[in-house]
Amino acid sequence: MSKDKVNNMENKGIAPNRRRFTSRHIIKNVYVYAILILVVLVLSLLKGEMFQRGNFLFWDNITNVLRLSVPILIISGGFTLIMISGNIDLSVGSILSLTTVVYAILVRDGFGFVAAFFLTAALGVVLGFINGWLVMKMRITPVIATLITMNVYQGVARYLVPEGVSAIKSDDLHKMPEWIGEFARNEVIPGTGLSWALIMTIVIIVLLVIVQRFTVLGKYVAAVGGNRTAAELSGINAVKVVWGVYVLLGVLSALSGVARGSYLTIGEPYTGAGTETQAIIAVLLGGTAFTGGEGSVIKSVIGALIIACLTLGLKSVIAPYWQSLAIGVVLVLAVALNHVLSKEKLAAE
Amino acid sequence: MNKRIDLLGRGKMSNESFINLSMLVVLIVAFVLASICIPRYFSMDIVLNLLANNWYIVILGIGVTFLLITGNFDMSVGGIIAMSGALSAYFCQTQQEGFSELATGLGMDYGVSVVLALLGSLAIGAINAFFIARLKVASIIVTLGTMSIARGVAEVINQGAQRSAGLPDIYGVVGNWTLFGPIKIAVVIALVLVLLALFVEKKTTFGRRTYLIGANQEAARLSGIKVERHITLLYLLSSLLAGITGIILASESRAAISTRGEGFEFNALVVTLLGGTSINGGFGSVAGTVVGALILGVIASAATSLLLRPEWQFILKGVVTFFAILAQRYALDKRNA
Repeated sequence: MSKDKVNNMENKGIAPNRRRFTSRHIIKNVYVYAILILVVLVLSLLKGEMFQRGNFLFWDNITNVLRLSVPILIISGGFTLIMISGNIDLSVGSILSLTTVVYAILVRDGFGFVAAFFLTAALGVVLGFINGWLVMKMRITPVIATLITMNVYQGVARYLVPEGVSAIKSDDLHKMPEWIGEFARNEVIPGTGLSWALIMTIVIIVLLVIVQRFTVLGKYVAAVGGNRTAAELSGINAVKVVWGVYVLLGVLSALSGVARGSYLTIGEPYTGAGTETQAIIAVLLGGTAFTGGEGSVIKSVIGALIIACLTLGLKSVIAPYWQSLAIGVVLVLAVALNHVLSKEKLAAE
Repeated sequence: MNKRIDLLGRGKMSNESFINLSMLVVLIVAFVLASICIPRYFSMDIVLNLLANNWYIVILGIGVTFLLITGNFDMSVGGIIAMSGALSAYFCQTQQEGFSELATGLGMDYGVSVVLALLGSLAIGAINAFFIARLKVASIIVTLGTMSIARGVAEVINQGAQRSAGLPDIYGVVGNWTLFGPIKIAVVIALVLVLLALFVEKKTTFGRRTYLIGANQEAARLSGIKVERHITLLYLLSSLLAGITGIILASESRAAISTRGEGFEFNALVVTLLGGTSINGGFGSVAGTVVGALILGVIASAATSLLLRPEWQFILKGVVTFFAILAQRYALDKRNA
């Protein structure tokens, strides 16, 4: 009798050590890397005039893709944490736009790089703080709260750009200094194509991975996302944790705003539009559950790389008006893929 | 004790009527304030224009309200507006040699092309429903994706521009059928739809089930309501209403424009929230949504009259929604304490 029971348990794969080696588990762990390799391979086969020097895998082209995708790489890392905590932040794109504009204004009006950098980051703290306040203190549903701030921040960004001008740039009174582009465009080590913005991105991603994997904060975020009541009963201050993640995401979006402003050398108020959709795709491709509780920063960053390669690759292959349709289809496919791969968890519940 | 029973009895109106009534008061106060602050604001023209300019948000609001009562979002309505306009134009444009690509379509009958455009809208609704009702994916994520798909289809059909040449004369009829003054047939359509929605909401089991699902989905399922089918129907309804809106709007301007309806999904959500519909608890009404649309209309027209830059509308919309949510919650807490 008891022997039967044991056999049964083994057949169902209840023993936790065994499940690690099911094919689905392996697929779940590696598929995001496989997709990236596949996308890069396909794009490299499409040789021709569309990429610099004729090949997608050319080093110049790779650093170019990376330089262009600094914001999505940074933001999707932080976005993972907010999704793990079971919340969402739709305002990241608007924070990116607003901080790009503010950074450009500060630089144009005579602030040095360090001052402009930290003032913009401080603005990111404030914007993220407002998001966290609305969600955690005012208890407004995350989607609605961040949709509100998304529109307000976007409105402020557009308001800061004077009427009749499309972006913050040199005008009669002020002249944009030459060095604004240095942060995102100049090579730190000649020949590598690495800019300060790229180095900052790599440092931020490494820090985020460490925070998520090896610190208490990462565990707290997952605990709150998995079961908030249980987390609070075991002494975690859910309000503080999630609020903190919102502030962190605000700062990260602001830093990507600095990088974007420096790359564009102007303050473009629409530059962040659609970033939230791209971040969601990246995070879903990375296998983070949309119900919260589990996820991985590094996989989301790989997901962001896939998005970056796809958007830039597609841009050179098909007409720009296909972009919106392609993004939508990729998002829906990512949702489907995410669902299929998390079936195991659903079945276990 | 007696007093308490009395309060719960016939003399007290429901929470829903209370919120509707208070938002009506807010609407009147906003209108009076605008009339005092802005010279020549108070006129029949302004009132008629409020109706003439906000009908589309009312139609969209019906579908969004029902969905929000069940706790779901629909962000795809703005994209569907662009898509159904573009599809209806593409299907009925004349088929002639020598015309530019954007002026030639499939040359179908206008009636047929409208039906096909609505079917296209329903397809988007079906994608929403499949992922949200069947696979239980968060509605905001799926509808953000279908928003992009619908707008993308419109952009591909219009090749990023617009289709205005080669359209049959009948294309512009529905949107420009004027009854009197600025009032067009679309306002009447909106009114009929609102009355229908109110009837469904109050007098049919379908309406009551919607509230029950919103209040407690699990309880609704256990008491025999087919929750999946219900939410599927609501998404189809919402996309159909958006499709109708898109066809009328395209007809009004006699052109299919790919940027049509940008941001309408947020407007529809804002008027629904202004009308007191709550995301967490099977609470709200289409009547409130109509009042919410008029409040937003008054605020928008007042901002324009005060010569504020159009960017202010984004900020105002957000701030007003925030205060509306807080005020409604505060009022209900006080009342039920």
